[in-house]
Amino acid sequence: MSELDRLFNRRLSRGQFVKLGAVAAGTSFLAACGGSESSGSAAGSIEDEPGNLSVLEWAGYEYPAYGKVEGAPGVLDQYVEAYSKPTYTFLTSDDQALGKARAGSKFDLVHPCVSYVQDWVDLGYVQPFDTSLLTNFDKLNPSLVANSQIDGKQYFIPVDWGFSSVMYRADKVEPDGEVSWNLFYDDRYKGKISWWDSPIENFLIWGYTIGQFDAYDWDNWTDPVLEDAKKFLIEKKKLVRNMWSSQTDFDTDVANGNVWIGYAWGGSFKAAKDAKLDVVYADPKEGRLSWNCGFVLGQDTANYHHAHAYVDQWISAESAGWIIPNYYYGHTNTEVDTSGVDPELVKVFKLDDPTALDEPKAHIERYVPERRKFAKAWDEVKAA
Amino acid sequence: MTETTADTPAPPRKGWRRPRLGTAGLVLPPTLWLVVFFLVPVGISAAYSVGALSFFPGEAALSLDGWRDFLDGSAYLSLFWKSVKIALIVSVASILLAYPVAYYIALCAPKRKYVLLLLIIAPYFVSYFLRILAMKVILGDQGVINSFAYWTGLRPQDDPIPELLYSQTTVVITLVFVFVPLVALPIFVSLENLDRRLLEAATDLGASRFTAFRRITLPLSLPGVLAAFVFVFVPTLGEYFTPLLVGGTDGFLFGNSIADLYGASQDWQTGSVLSLFLLFMIAVLMAAFARFISLRSVAAN
Repeated sequence: MSELDRLFNRRLSRGQFVKLGAVAAGTSFLAACGGSESSGSAAGSIEDEPGNLSVLEWAGYEYPAYGKVEGAPGVLDQYVEAYSKPTYTFLTSDDQALGKARAGSKFDLVHPCVSYVQDWVDLGYVQPFDTSLLTNFDKLNPSLVANSQIDGKQYFIPVDWGFSSVMYRADKVEPDGEVSWNLFYDDRYKGKISWWDSPIENFLIWGYTIGQFDAYDWDNWTDPVLEDAKKFLIEKKKLVRNMWSSQTDFDTDVANGNVWIGYAWGGSFKAAKDAKLDVVYADPKEGRLSWNCGFVLGQDTANYHHAHAYVDQWISAESAGWIIPNYYYGHTNTEVDTSGVDPELVKVFKLDDPTALDEPKAHIERYVPERRKFAKAWDEVKAA
Repeated sequence: MTETTADTPAPPRKGWRRPRLGTAGLVLPPTLWLVVFFLVPVGISAAYSVGALSFFPGEAALSLDGWRDFLDGSAYLSLFWKSVKIALIVSVASILLAYPVAYYIALCAPKRKYVLLLLIIAPYFVSYFLRILAMKVILGDQGVINSFAYWTGLRPQDDPIPELLYSQTTVVITLVFVFVPLVALPIFVSLENLDRRLLEAATDLGASRFTAFRRITLPLSLPGVLAAFVFVFVPTLGEYFTPLLVGGTDGFLFGNSIADLYGASQDWQTGSVLSLFLLFMIAVLMAAFARFISLRSVAAN
């Protein structure tokens, strides 16, 4: 999460939230009144395009930070030298990205996660990629590619993936038997637990752990089941010190000893290791959750070919070779060479295992048709 | 028509002048600003709140369900009252802490007045965000206060003072810390404008210092106190950033719900209902205070 972005958010939120929120809505209204740009298409060539690529991106994924190599060309240098440096806008969550687009901002490329691609398609903001323009496409992990198709179309090019699991301090926490997600509900560690503030994942964890059913099978989530989950989470909320919404907050809490158990991505494990803490990135018996993000292509892009060239660079083997040791994330390119990476990390994050994301040891994120139902229940948990 | 005009003299146009072009030029930009960036967006929010507009296309359907669900004892409504409670505590605590400071600067330190005032405002040289992060460092389990408690043996190691970080208490402490300088200013101004001769007269007539304070200083500084109250109460009511950073699970407030509804929940309808409700309550409050404050200043004159 970029600090600037947070400051910006802060300005928007301090004072009269409503007034300023209304300003944002007003801007979007004005934007909506503006004429639409000419729609880009496969026709034409890269030379005919303006080339001012605009990307809605996570902080840390922008040029030149992403792919920077000391004393050598970085991963994105080739693209930037051939064309030009893209303009970045930062997102801090998928919902926020969708909100920005809904408020009228247009982008050539956006970097959402796979469970939101259907929303982008439903809102009519994106168009399918032409995979024949991506030289690296056939090297991508087939299960991630399959997981991201909608009606057989490639609206989404999967890029980075990773796990979401329980991380705990080995010197402070003794799991009861085989490690399980139920560390999140362990009364012994009251005040030392941190959940992720996200409406879907907390119910998924409850489903796999307490409900003991396939939580990603939405048919299992009848109203009484959701009600049970809600009550349980309200009860266990007392154990939770903080529900983190930005990874930096969680990392700081771990480093400062405020929490010992938490919902963690790979980067948090790296941060805790860097802080010389004795932490375990668990493989809970119910399976890890996992995420996968990638690119969608703006419906109205005037930079159709530039966008493809940029994405092609992102899904290259050298990009994979960079993201793994730098962010501890996985990458869809299967031709990656992990020989230079710390063997412990490769093992913990199964970076060399193409089946790492397969059921039942991992549950890859996917579209949530009734997201609002969960969101409402989650808001009630938080408000209780 | 013409007859009546002839019979009765035209009413005198008291104080009425044709508006000049310059006046229009001055009034127009702020009016436009308000219309475009305030009234229109409020209208859009209102449209969302009754389902005339919707987040996903094709979902729009006019209904008052959003309002009914909210007002019918929803979790959000109780959250609003929680925010009111916190905002009251923060406002009162800030005023109680700031009043003596403002009093001292205005009445007891004539020479160093503006140096002290500058010191009061000094925290504003640092961004709000950084000041909140600093509070995390101070209040954390290994933070300044807890470390001191461990060192002195007041608390055993690894047993931090509960509620210090990530609680309603933290939200109150942080907001008071942020608001005290802001609150001191209007109180300072009202004390500064106080007619000192009134205090001399009180002393001449045999009033004790406390009586003089109670019957002269305090009543005359009330407009400043009320302005300070509004300065704190209104932003705190919709506050979302501080609870997000230091509130933990217990410090979640109304503003956080609004942020969530526009964000993760993709429920712009309920989000708009909550925003408009907040706007309405603040408008009512401001109207009440504006009346009270103006009456006060008239009475003071």
